[in-house]
Amino acid sequence: MWRAFFLLVLTLDATAQSPQELVNDAIAKQRAGDLEGAVKEYREFLKEHPEATPIRSNFGAALAGLGQFQEAITEYKIALKQSPSAPGLRLNLALAYYKTGRIGDATDELVKVHKESPSNSQATLLLADCYLRMGQNKDVIRVLRPEHQKHPDDMAIVYLLGTALIRDHQVSEGQVLVDQILRNGESAEAHLMLGTSKMEAADFAGARPELAKAVALNPNLPGVHVLYGQALQVTSGPEEATKEFKSELAIDPYNYVANLQIGATLRQEQKFDEAKPYLERALETRPGDLAVRYQLAAIALSEGKADEARRELESIVKESPGFAEAHVSLSIAYFRLKRPVDGNREKSIVERLTAEAQAKQPGVKAQ
Amino acid sequence: MKISRREWLRLAAAFGAAPLWGQQAGNVESAPLFIEIPASQSGISWVHDNAMSAEHYLPETLGPGCAFLDFDNDGWMDIFLVNSGPSDFWKPAKPVRNALYKNNRDGTFTDVTEKAGVSGAAFGMGVAVGDYDNDGWPDIFVTAYGRGTLYRNNHDGTFTDVTEKAGVATPGWTTSSVWFDYDNDGRLDLFVCSFVDYSGEHKFECGDNKIGKKYYCIPRVFRPTASFLYHNNGDGTFTEVSKGTDIAKALGKGLGVVATDINNDGRMDLFVANDTVQNFLFVNRGPGTNGRWKWEEIALQAGVGFSESGQARSGMGVDATDLKSSGWQDLFVANVDHEMFSVYQNNQDETFRDVAQANDVAQATRLLSGWGLKYFDYDNDGAVDLILANGHPDDMIDGYSMQVKYKEPLLLFHQGDNHRLHNVSGQAGPAFQKFFPARGLAVGDFDNDGAMDVLIGNNGGSPLLLKNEAAQGKNWLGLKLEGVQSNRDGVGAKIIWTAGGRNRQRLKNNGGSYLSSHDPREVLGIGSAPKIDELEIHWPAPSKRVDKITNLPINRYVHVVEGKGILS
Repeated sequence: MWRAFFLLVLTLDATAQSPQELVNDAIAKQRAGDLEGAVKEYREFLKEHPEATPIRSNFGAALAGLGQFQEAITEYKIALKQSPSAPGLRLNLALAYYKTGRIGDATDELVKVHKESPSNSQATLLLADCYLRMGQNKDVIRVLRPEHQKHPDDMAIVYLLGTALIRDHQVSEGQVLVDQILRNGESAEAHLMLGTSKMEAADFAGARPELAKAVALNPNLPGVHVLYGQALQVTSGPEEATKEFKSELAIDPYNYVANLQIGATLRQEQKFDEAKPYLERALETRPGDLAVRYQLAAIALSEGKADEARRELESIVKESPGFAEAHVSLSIAYFRLKRPVDGNREKSIVERLTAEAQAKQPGVKAQ
Repeated sequence: MKISRREWLRLAAAFGAAPLWGQQAGNVESAPLFIEIPASQSGISWVHDNAMSAEHYLPETLGPGCAFLDFDNDGWMDIFLVNSGPSDFWKPAKPVRNALYKNNRDGTFTDVTEKAGVSGAAFGMGVAVGDYDNDGWPDIFVTAYGRGTLYRNNHDGTFTDVTEKAGVATPGWTTSSVWFDYDNDGRLDLFVCSFVDYSGEHKFECGDNKIGKKYYCIPRVFRPTASFLYHNNGDGTFTEVSKGTDIAKALGKGLGVVATDINNDGRMDLFVANDTVQNFLFVNRGPGTNGRWKWEEIALQAGVGFSESGQARSGMGVDATDLKSSGWQDLFVANVDHEMFSVYQNNQDETFRDVAQANDVAQATRLLSGWGLKYFDYDNDGAVDLILANGHPDDMIDGYSMQVKYKEPLLLFHQGDNHRLHNVSGQAGPAFQKFFPARGLAVGDFDNDGAMDVLIGNNGGSPLLLKNEAAQGKNWLGLKLEGVQSNRDGVGAKIIWTAGGRNRQRLKNNGGSYLSSHDPREVLGIGSAPKIDELEIHWPAPSKRVDKITNLPINRYVHVVEGKGILS
């Protein structure tokens, strides 16, 4: 996908032979795959001509090609500031964000690209994929339904839309798309969607063989190890599940679910130092995510850093007042900080939330 | 060359190496630590009737409890087994009754239930044994779905139902209960766990499961209830005194309870395991200013109310012990599968830390559901070990779970020199390779050999009696405590002993496990030490007397009376 954006048309109005030669040479090197050489020459050129937006864009692409995404992002942002409407630049920035797991930032940029160029199917698909990764299934459906009407046989669209529908509990409509994939013969995608469908119905034992088949057919299919790992987590246990989550991370180091699940398992095993990098990476993928922040706060509490835990937990319950587990931990943090009044206030909230949940139980109503 | 387990231990000790419990089975042919005594040998032919129906009423899956007690005071542990019975959802087609088995002192038992008058007439759940009237004879309290029963011991092999007269006719659905002296007046009081509100003419059903059949509702769907605390008035009657206290305010779904002293203030506290809601830790704060006793529920801030992830679990069995002989009581709670059990280490400041992961307990229990359990020194080496009885509450779980099964194995943990619990179930004997729908568990020395045996109540099946073979060659002293000013059973007494240069101590807790009641005697294991050099009994209030005893016999039971020393 990256190659499509590597080379923008060079429109530099060179004023001196030497810089023009430098740029030509850099472009040639980039085309030939000598990215390090290209980067060196782009950097040299941009020192003298920082206003050359297309060259900066090329420079960003070369950096991204070398895996230096953070630096690429910096260059793309400078270029965008210089030329906000430069074609492809924002999409490149979004891709760099995507590659570094900053799915939220990638989404922000892709929304703008999609708005400016709704016909850009690559941006649309990428945006849908970002929404899917962030669990925003309804947004996936909103973005892809029109695309599916225009391109009903595009399997990438069918797959993403079908997955989102199933995850959004619109199983019957999702099943139609699963069937469409199945008609094309046995595929990892089809088994993955069937597995997803069963997972949504809490049929974990039924989902397990479907997902195992998907893994066997295409172990590089994005998300396949995560779902299989989740099925194993319920039906087998954390050891087997963690293996799958790690396989996912080998393909996609910023996969949110895989990082969160491994981090949570390690936390439960009280391996706090091992858990933290996974959770921090999950937080990079979904900045501000409550589940990840709660895990990190719980680690701080277990490590005796009650005040650090308190700060984070106060922030979490402010954002999500019904998060009972966070109120439990916050209460404990206050008691450890010798703040019994606050501790008891949180304890009362826990009791209220418990009572409210209890009152909604069907057996209670029947009595 | 075959080496017996005993020889192996001796050789290991001779070379200065501690026995490697976890690796033992692969290296030597070891004798089983526990041997199953079949009904044909013991004479215990009674079978629990769980009343299982197509409708799957929840009480069906919770019993039964069991107890070791010496009802006839002959010095040999007898056995009491609780059964289901008539209820508003079940009318038995044939008589269903509890069972009292008299110990014949030869490894066999005789059913004396009818003569004793303890057959029961309700849907029984659990049993707590205690001498509430301080007459030296154990009395029996049976909990139930429906009316519980207090049986007073008549000293002649019979009992009288004194429930109404005593004022302990507890409504609703009661489960575990415990005798303890919360106000240190020298008389045993009674705490009774209440489970969910299961009232109503038509029982709520949770519909069909994945294989199209009715199943046992998860208790989450039922309303929680408050437990009961009965104060012993000293005249054969009790007064329910929880009103206005945290005990009445704390609405739970109690299944297990242990009485212990978590803060060493000389007052017995209560740790209650609740199903699907948080556990309770009722700390006994003494007399309140309003004329009521002050109980403070501190489970949340103590770190024992919820999981480490802040979630309420399905607490069932509980226990307390001083695991490392630190002088402070640690706690234990068993939960359902995937919730893992907790080993709560006392931080000595009314808070606890779950160290199940550092022990072998967390991983070993991940797929199990735990009910009866007991911290006890099964091999008399002086360190506390642990046994767990497990079984899933859903009889159809095998149909839709790949790993969780209805019948589950027992687990045995041995405490190593590093103070950690190691899973030794693989070496414990054939009974530990079998699967049971286990519920209640009691430990008791039915053959008076100083090794605590195990009795397990199986749901809808025969009880399991395990004879302990693990303590052979180890020295021990058994104590039957008799309080004079303090409660007669000596509940709350602290026992401190020195042997082989090591000091150890034990608090005589009461209750624990699930629906069950243990042998009231305390066996002090001293391993290879030849004798106990000194023994101190710190009797609970009101006496607070400390008896120091030397010149102690070995490998036998002695009767220690407060202020008088050894009687026999």
